[in-house]
Amino acid sequence: MRRAPAVVIAGAAGFAGIVAMHAGSAPSFLSGTGPPAPVSSSPTTTGPSTTPAVPPTGAARTALGTSEQYGYGVLAVKVTVRGSRITDVSVARLQTAEQYSQRLAQQVIPVLRNEVLSAQSTHINGISGATYTSEAYAYSVQSALDLLGVK
Amino acid sequence: MSAPRIESVLLVKSLPVTGPILEGRFRKVRINMASVTFDPTYAPHSGKHRRQSVISRPGTAPRPVVADVAMVLAGLGFGACIALAVTAETWKQLAARGGVAMFLGNLTGLSGTYLALIMVLLVSRIPVVERVLGQDKLLAAHRRLAPWPISLIVAHAVLLTFAYAEAAQTGVWGQVGAFISSYPDMLTATIALVVMVAIAVTSVYSIRRRLRRETWWAVHLFMYLALALAFAHEIALGPSFVGHPLTRFVWSVLWASSAGLVLVYRFGLPLFRTLRHRLEVVEVHPEGPGTVSVVCRGRHLDRLAVAGGQFFEWRFLTKGMWWQAHPFSLSARPRPPFLRLTVKGIGDYSSAVARLRPGTRVAIEGPYGAFTTHARRRSRVALIAGGIGVTAIRSLLEDLPRDCDPVVILRASSAEELALASEIAELVRHRKGRVHELVGSRSEVRIDRLSELVPDLQNRDVYVSGPEGFVNRVVATVLRLGVPKDSVHFEVYSL
Repeated sequence: MRRAPAVVIAGAAGFAGIVAMHAGSAPSFLSGTGPPAPVSSSPTTTGPSTTPAVPPTGAARTALGTSEQYGYGVLAVKVTVRGSRITDVSVARLQTAEQYSQRLAQQVIPVLRNEVLSAQSTHINGISGATYTSEAYAYSVQSALDLLGVK
Repeated sequence: MSAPRIESVLLVKSLPVTGPILEGRFRKVRINMASVTFDPTYAPHSGKHRRQSVISRPGTAPRPVVADVAMVLAGLGFGACIALAVTAETWKQLAARGGVAMFLGNLTGLSGTYLALIMVLLVSRIPVVERVLGQDKLLAAHRRLAPWPISLIVAHAVLLTFAYAEAAQTGVWGQVGAFISSYPDMLTATIALVVMVAIAVTSVYSIRRRLRRETWWAVHLFMYLALALAFAHEIALGPSFVGHPLTRFVWSVLWASSAGLVLVYRFGLPLFRTLRHRLEVVEVHPEGPGTVSVVCRGRHLDRLAVAGGQFFEWRFLTKGMWWQAHPFSLSARPRPPFLRLTVKGIGDYSSAVARLRPGTRVAIEGPYGAFTTHARRRSRVALIAGGIGVTAIRSLLEDLPRDCDPVVILRASSAEELALASEIAELVRHRKGRVHELVGSRSEVRIDRLSELVPDLQNRDVYVSGPEGFVNRVVATVLRLGVPKDSVHFEVYSL
């Protein structure tokens, strides 16, 4: 096919374009972050450390955390901060593999929310019997905080 | 070969000589339209008549750059899809249970659905693209591309089922049930997958052969429904789309535009043309053994832009034929208000055409085809027609200018089968060219004689038209004889 080289080059250009647009936002393969740290019951942050300037208190900002796939489903949170204070955490996306996980998540998420708001960080206690859910929640909150440039 | 014969005194609307219009009110007047209306020596602007008659519009010139741009955009989009799948992944997700299968499932889903979009656009009959590439080449590309999107989409479903089952530590069938019951839009997506697989199965050659063409076609049309059903789950569940409103927007615009293009150009424009021109059969007469010409009359045919060599999909609205559309070339430029197609009688359908009654209404789709004089690179041409391929050559000839010295080669198994030969001879004579009639069985006539018949073949644009085997052989010969690929144009007659 005569036009084959042009099509292939266009494909490469399309690929490069999307990658360029995506770089600088949520962590992915291509930003070079390695595999995650081993799991423990009080999760520590593993996201990239970004330190943009923190705007003055008063302006409420929100960010969507990454969708954390945790083995029984997918969880993503939306975090609202005012200045450097976490004011709200809500669930943006929750899809679980079966009913049990769904009910468990619904029970556990309000508790986790309180934990995050009182600790004002993701150094929270996981809830026994809901380890994966707690971890996913914490990771997602942390990624949102990274996006917002808080801690 | 039919000699002109006038069976009654006839007053035809398009001739400026005298008055009355041929209406259905004329009682049982048998007419031979061909000699009067499509006579090649009839020259509308010869000045011999006091009033100018109506001539038809020439076809719009194609712009080859459109096809180049379209292909580049298609490649760009494909690369972007791959990148969307890759950038939505993280190391963490890959390392999780079922992570690799999930990534591959997302990748195959995105790329497979994008290719399905390309498949739809290939058969959407957008005029600017169709004029350059031709409906036959677009359909061939559509058929060749087909295995890829269907394989990728099936792989997508299988991979993701395994991935989710692995992550949730459940059985595969349990996972299928979970998908359908607890995830949004997965029920419609599953139905869509089943429909797509059914369509793919019916299109496998060994099965398609056994089906009637209309049955296969009816099943195939459900692909539009399947694609529409699958759309919701892509947006709701795809990791590249969730939380990425811009990606969602672009994807939605792409699909909405494709749907719009299909509605307008695949369904709307043919319907508009059918209603505007209101074609009906006026006369059916034989051109030779097994070959008939059908003359149709319509309104506003002076506004229908047709290039010689183009074809329409014809749907004769009569019992037993209305649900089938078949492609036939016009066998002459339209002479408003008349146009003519010539059909060779192979199969039930073509025999039914021979029995068409005057007054039968006709629905058309078209004009389609890139087999026109617009594709020419040089001023001199060689036209090679086998069997029924002579119809496209006959109408193409009318578009060639005077004194252009065309060489025409007509190939048929027997002398009577050389339909339209006298008209072609007249047209070629007018253009100071020559006609070679190669009559005989395949063993008697060898197509390698081409170089003897046309010594300057390398300096001509070559047009080949006829059944598939004939076209393939002649094109191979012509290329071997040194004609550059861009100067070889062909159209294959197959149903």
